[in-house]
Amino acid sequence: MSSESAEPPEDTGVPERPEVAERPEVAEGPEAAGPAEPGDSRVRPGRRSFLRGVAGGVAGGVVAGAAGGYAYRGSGARPDPAAVANLAALQGRLPAVPFHGTHQAGILPEPKAATAVISFNATAENRAELTDLFRMVTERARFLTAGGTPPVVGIGGPSSDSGTLGPTVVPDGLTVTFGVGSTLFDDRYGLASQLPAHLTPMKSFPNDNLDPAQCGGDLILQLTAGNEDVVLHALRDIAKNTRGGMQANWRIHGFSSPARPPGTVPRNQLGFMDGIANPAVTNVPEMNELVWVQPGAAGEPAWTAGGSYFVVRLIRMFVEFWDRVDVYEQQLMFGRYRASGYPLDADGIYATPDYAADPTGEVIPLTAHMRLANPRTPQTAQNRILRRAWNYDRGLDQVGDLDVGLIFTCYQQDVKRQFETVQTRLIDEPLVDYISPVGGGYFLALPGVVDDTDYFGRALLA
Amino acid sequence: MSTRRLLAATTVATAAAIGAALVAGCGSSPPAGSSSSTAISFTDASCGGTWHLARPGWHTFEITNEADYGAEVDLTNPASGAVYDELQNIGPGTTVAMTLDVGSGTYAFLCEVEDFDPVAGPTVTVAGHQAGTRTVLPITYNDLYPLAKEYAKYTEAGLQVLAGQTSTLAADLRAGNLTAAKREWLTAHLQYETLGAAYDAFGNFDDEIDGRADAVGVNSSQWTGFYRLEYGLWHGQSVQELVPVADTLNTDVHKLLAWWPSQQVPLIDIGLRTHEILENALEFQLTGHDDYGSGTTLATTLANIQGTRYLLSLLHPLLAPRDPQLPQIYTGLNLLQSLIEKERLQNGWWVPVSSLPTAARQQIDAACDQVLQVLAPIASIAEPRNTANEF
Repeated sequence: MSSESAEPPEDTGVPERPEVAERPEVAEGPEAAGPAEPGDSRVRPGRRSFLRGVAGGVAGGVVAGAAGGYAYRGSGARPDPAAVANLAALQGRLPAVPFHGTHQAGILPEPKAATAVISFNATAENRAELTDLFRMVTERARFLTAGGTPPVVGIGGPSSDSGTLGPTVVPDGLTVTFGVGSTLFDDRYGLASQLPAHLTPMKSFPNDNLDPAQCGGDLILQLTAGNEDVVLHALRDIAKNTRGGMQANWRIHGFSSPARPPGTVPRNQLGFMDGIANPAVTNVPEMNELVWVQPGAAGEPAWTAGGSYFVVRLIRMFVEFWDRVDVYEQQLMFGRYRASGYPLDADGIYATPDYAADPTGEVIPLTAHMRLANPRTPQTAQNRILRRAWNYDRGLDQVGDLDVGLIFTCYQQDVKRQFETVQTRLIDEPLVDYISPVGGGYFLALPGVVDDTDYFGRALLA
Repeated sequence: MSTRRLLAATTVATAAAIGAALVAGCGSSPPAGSSSSTAISFTDASCGGTWHLARPGWHTFEITNEADYGAEVDLTNPASGAVYDELQNIGPGTTVAMTLDVGSGTYAFLCEVEDFDPVAGPTVTVAGHQAGTRTVLPITYNDLYPLAKEYAKYTEAGLQVLAGQTSTLAADLRAGNLTAAKREWLTAHLQYETLGAAYDAFGNFDDEIDGRADAVGVNSSQWTGFYRLEYGLWHGQSVQELVPVADTLNTDVHKLLAWWPSQQVPLIDIGLRTHEILENALEFQLTGHDDYGSGTTLATTLANIQGTRYLLSLLHPLLAPRDPQLPQIYTGLNLLQSLIEKERLQNGWWVPVSSLPTAARQQIDAACDQVLQVLAPIASIAEPRNTANEF
């Protein structure tokens, strides 16, 4: 495998966030599955190329991908060391991510440093008000992702902006991802016949401990940016402009850690690199097979085309308990070395574990998380998901332990075929003693807003 | 049928306030680095020199107070007296920036140094046909004086009614009639809550009559008033224990009634309270914080709505030409009121907010949030201001 030498990266800069060393993209990770076609080239344009595309002002990775690749690949120039992007991130100056596109712009990019996921119930009284709500979310997202100076109200009222980003709103790479839950399709808005084919309430799996107060919602909003203040500013702005139309149910904020050491993959709070592999977001055919709802898909209402099923899982991690476990045992649970991220049977983060050579689990136990999640067989290729996760940290539990964990999210074309299948394989894995899914939901991330006259859900609501 | 148009209200309001920003993303923003700047300095006798803009657009005025006292500067339309933007509390010797989208039209600064008459600067015309930051016609002290008098009279009449009710309440308890006392407690408490007292109108009297237990605890003898009595009535405390509580409440209400006519309502409070009363309702009633056992915080919120409506009725003639969101305010209050009234029980008591189904509670909270959002500008619009014409 070419990936065996993927470490260290060729960059000599300081490739901290948001860039990570170029690496092959294969699918795996706590709740991901990937293809294991032997001989399949695993070297694909990595996340750097994706970010470059965005940074270069290309309108949406998918559009760029469809057009045949990213700017730098054509030009042959790879101008900046990662340090430039890193400095921009530190200063809150990540470039604006173009808002308009066939698909929502926040779905494909690698996690940025800060995120918030907020569930709402619609309180709009009727279809017309619901449409107003979706238009307003669109308008605010359009402004916030582009940035600019908020208007002056004079003596006509309080300031139009909270001011938490100073006098000018910086985009800082903000993306606003907006989705709908199955409960929106009840009798309130006459949408029952428009229910997406694979949208249901979130299933409770045998190892879950779901708190209804942290589950579900008519609407879901994810805000991601280079800095927490930008995320919270955006949330306040959107909430202020949509009062009356929707009411928040639950909210969680998360962070994505810098890759440590630089050039590797961000870690979760169990100390392990998290979501090492994913389908290649630059591979348009693969995204069309795994992520995007396709036009004319069986049973899908036409309006869903270009959307993506969005699963959110709030996974508490019992880190105190975990820290009392021998690292050798921890590694057996994941199937990887904690320090290096390498599979237990290989010499590279992105190396492919050879399960065929280890049929009884002598090296990588049959119950190891990564082995269950991603058996790497041709049959499981269609189960792959696009996995995105952030760490969360929200205080203490009743016994004074840290309430920390993972905001697991993933995108897919069919929740049952993908997330639920992978999660079913993970039932009763050894790791379940140390984690506890407590909330989340299933949603459909709406198709993208294509231009200035379009708005979220137009084809659904019109 | 739609009874509210809440989001529409937001859209209209935001469109009015934010204008092109919504349509074109950052369209109304000053392009980075291109915003022009003009220095304006003023004293107690002069208000800047003339200035010139080649074309309308975003512009910054660097305004320096060369007087010896604090000052306020308004950028006005000299023909109408309407205000584009305002800087308050400019310290002597300091320079403050005013940045706005200067549309085509006429402009003049109005400089108001503390203890000096306002001075108008030269009139400047910005050419073209481009809209910019919109103006609001200021409301003057003279506009507000009669409203404050009306408000004081309304409050006095309300306190007289209240005093009768607290007397009855104290008598009920002395008679040992807890059932009647609970009914009269609710009647009297709601009467008090219609008076706008939710926000500081009565100074220390408010703490004595309607104070919460947070600072002292529910077992403290320092805790007096309606909530103390509610706690006792709904936690099985004895008549003997509660008679002095009711008597103290009754005494305090009568003291307030005697004190009130000597008070003046600060003019600025009239506008402020139009949203502050319901801000308190959201914080203390709709959260259930102020439910000390009777489960009537929804009723309290209704009383607070009534108090808000009274203030709006006073301000209506002034707001109608100034506040484009006024219709949405009334629609929003009607919606909130109708949602709450659904939770009144047959026996005259109320569903406690903690027992509301999630959907009903979210509807109420969203309606309150929404009406607060459209009420909030009144505090700015109805702040008493000096105008060039008054001097």
